[in-house]
Amino acid sequence: MRHPLAALLLLIAGLPLLVTGALALGALFDAGAWQALAQEPQWPRALALSLWTGLASTALAWWATRALLAQAFVQQRLARLLRGLPAMLATPHAAFAIGLAFLLAPSGWVLRALSPWLTGFDFPPPWPTTQDPWGLGLIAALVLKEIPFLLWTAATQLQRDDVRQRWQAEHALAQTLGYAPRQAFDRVVWPQLAPRLTGPLVAVLAYGLTVVDMALVLGPASPPTLAVLAWQWLQDADPATNAQGAAAGGVLAFAVGVSVALWRAGQALAARHTRRGSGARGRTPAAGPVHGSRGAWLLVAVYAAVLLALAVGSVAGVWPFPALWPDTLTLQAWASVWASRGTVLTTLGLAVASAALALAWSVAWLEAAPRRWDAALRPLLYAPLVLPAVLWVVGLYSLALWLRLEGRWPALLLAHTLMALPYVLLALAPAYTGFDPRYRAISDSLGRSRAHFLLRIKWPLLRRALAASAAVGFAVSVAQYLPTLYLGAGRWATVTTEAVTLAAGAQRSLTSAYAGLQFVLPVLGFALAAWVGRPRRFTVAPT
Amino acid sequence: MSIPPLSTTRRRLLTTLGAGAALHSLAARAQPVAPAWAEIEQAARGQTVRFNAWAGSEPINAYIQWAAAQIQAAHGVTLEHVKISDAADVVKRVRAEKAAGRGAGEGTVDLIWINGENFATMKREGLLGAPFAQGLPNFRYVDTVGKPTTLTDFSVPTDGLESPWGMAQLTFFADRQRLPQPPQSMAELLALARQRPGRISYPRPPEFHGTTFLKQALLEHTREPAALARPYSADAFARVTAPLWTFLDALHPQLWRGGRQFPQNAGAIRQMVADGELLIGITFNPNDAANEIAARRLPATVHSWQFARGTIGNTHFVAIPYNAPARAGAQVVANFLLSPVAQARKADIAHWGDPTVLDLAKLPAAERALFNAAPRPGQVQQTAPALPEPHASWVDPIEKEWVRRYGLGG
Repeated sequence: MRHPLAALLLLIAGLPLLVTGALALGALFDAGAWQALAQEPQWPRALALSLWTGLASTALAWWATRALLAQAFVQQRLARLLRGLPAMLATPHAAFAIGLAFLLAPSGWVLRALSPWLTGFDFPPPWPTTQDPWGLGLIAALVLKEIPFLLWTAATQLQRDDVRQRWQAEHALAQTLGYAPRQAFDRVVWPQLAPRLTGPLVAVLAYGLTVVDMALVLGPASPPTLAVLAWQWLQDADPATNAQGAAAGGVLAFAVGVSVALWRAGQALAARHTRRGSGARGRTPAAGPVHGSRGAWLLVAVYAAVLLALAVGSVAGVWPFPALWPDTLTLQAWASVWASRGTVLTTLGLAVASAALALAWSVAWLEAAPRRWDAALRPLLYAPLVLPAVLWVVGLYSLALWLRLEGRWPALLLAHTLMALPYVLLALAPAYTGFDPRYRAISDSLGRSRAHFLLRIKWPLLRRALAASAAVGFAVSVAQYLPTLYLGAGRWATVTTEAVTLAAGAQRSLTSAYAGLQFVLPVLGFALAAWVGRPRRFTVAPT
Repeated sequence: MSIPPLSTTRRRLLTTLGAGAALHSLAARAQPVAPAWAEIEQAARGQTVRFNAWAGSEPINAYIQWAAAQIQAAHGVTLEHVKISDAADVVKRVRAEKAAGRGAGEGTVDLIWINGENFATMKREGLLGAPFAQGLPNFRYVDTVGKPTTLTDFSVPTDGLESPWGMAQLTFFADRQRLPQPPQSMAELLALARQRPGRISYPRPPEFHGTTFLKQALLEHTREPAALARPYSADAFARVTAPLWTFLDALHPQLWRGGRQFPQNAGAIRQMVADGELLIGITFNPNDAANEIAARRLPATVHSWQFARGTIGNTHFVAIPYNAPARAGAQVVANFLLSPVAQARKADIAHWGDPTVLDLAKLPAAERALFNAAPRPGQVQQTAPALPEPHASWVDPIEKEWVRRYGLGG
């Protein structure tokens, strides 16, 4: 065998992924379940809602990311745009949804601020501003939550020293040919950037189609999206209903596959259209006021308001409408958070270990595996992203039962690492595979060893991407709910299982407090990554 | 009734159950109660009991912590609260363990907080071990006559496979300032909804409280209540439930968001009552509102009530899965949870406020005095009769029909 290390790596990651995927899909070979699903009246409409919310939110997030990136790139403000990202990226989906719901709800802060002096409401109006039947609230939340993720993955591309310089030069060249800055970005930079974002985009699309926790808080309820229905059925005590839930998960997986294919077809069409561009320069837009940062500011403002809502919510006691501020404040929620601080250690241990494993594997894989292998393996690696979580967890649990590992730490580590792996690889691969090969050639020509090249040249140059991918893995591990619950057999509690379990009681203060804690950990991870990846400053020694 | 010998193998257990009550009571006579219990306590010492219990409420978690400390001190048993959000998850876990061939003592769950459909499932699928409840020394205080639901869980006989822990009864609460005259029946609720459209709702079935709301409406309107105590029959379904759908057809247009959408759970409704968006909250704990007032999450002007002619009531239990590693320890815990001290603290609204399963008349005077906690604001003042739950098999068809009629949106 020509690539023994790559083969070993393939075995290590591929085998559990394959087995889990097979066990998960195996749950779909149940004719009775499909029959039951076919007779279930809710699912066609639920599927339509899933498709609508997933596709609309992905398209909007994609469009907004492009616009924000274009403005930032043109104005050379990329670094400033990215400064606030770690905090946004680290905000857990569930926490964000809860906070956003509290802003938008009929009894939410926005209406409290306007009542009764403007609206005349003494009681919350009967407006469907949360859980609206059209899924608009869910779409808004998904868009706001996915823009930072897409921006972040794009940033790992744009901030690579080699690529940035080349693209800036090409961008400048296009401008000398008479294109306006924005046109130049659209024609030169974006067509090179977009294909490298396909992986993250598929993740976003799959997430939008299969999300459970956000849809529970903000999504339509009658019927809910198909992912929520599948999750409810899988929770049922009746095995026949469970099988029906797994079948619904299968439908979702299929929907994800079709959507990805459609998206890529659409993208190919758009690319062809761009290539056939007329070359017309058009009128140079007047140098008016800069609105580029307005979108970015809006994003920051929404996140700040959501976090403020959570912070105030966590200490709120009685708080009737339309009071802008709680009547009573209580620290009870934080006291219970403090009481279960042991879970923080479990969370940290799992997140650090799984992020480290996933990063080590990804680096080794990208280093050792031939491109052809990498391309062939990707679909399998992305299985945890594309397979709905409700279905994936069925396979993981069967695997753990079979290995007699359920309820043990190694099982949790396995589950978290498998979930973190595709995200880490997604975040790392573009920068890693795009690394300028000439460095290697120069290093080789100077007679340096491979180890020297990796340790002294490649990894130090890529440390920003390496640290960022580790932070992504860390955040993914922290946010895991279903795998932790199932494989931990309830014996291992993490901040997230505590948060979601307590959220079942729907106490605003406790939910907000845990959402806060769930938020702090990944933010620390990203802050650490940003610190590790900070640009080197060369100081001139005084002579 | 009897205590099964500690060393009962599964095969022996099956024959014992199969042979019926006669053999059972024979075994009981052969095995005097006291020494066997001492043996169990002996075996339990040093064991760790993993108690899988819903953890969505802070007072409940604190109560379990308290119980753990007491049990550790008195019996040397470590009680570990495994926090779960849905007992059905645990049922599935035990089922999966059984499917994977796990034998006695090879499981992950020692004790589970359970009732209703989940219990019926575990019993039917043989996921519970030998009967144990009647063998617990404190079981003699249980009010099996006045509270018959301590022996039949949603019309399914418990057969000693689960030990009663607390009582629950459908209860409503509202802010007295906004609703001075609370409705006393489903018919009055409908009249109120017509007066104040958009201010009343119930959780979307199959959420537990939502389903109970349907069952309450069904019990009040059906012309054949007797049929509901028997297992579900497809023939009777349309006839028995027709009045329910007529009632809901009239009610829904008056509900929050026109009855096209429903809140997710009772907690969400409570939050909306606190915010003033809804008028009436729904709970299964008669002391819930008082707890929330004490925790300053509801204003002090909130009060609770039950419909004058009764509301659905049931009992919640603890059960031991067939493969519990710490079976003896789990029995010691179950016995402690039934003790007058533990039951009195649980009933005390300052701690949890969950009504007791014991018959206070059976208790020695000193222990009865433990239950004399002063009433608190928000508590139910006048308790109404507890109506028995329909047989567990009705739940699923009713929920399905509800979804078909009202759950599809549009």
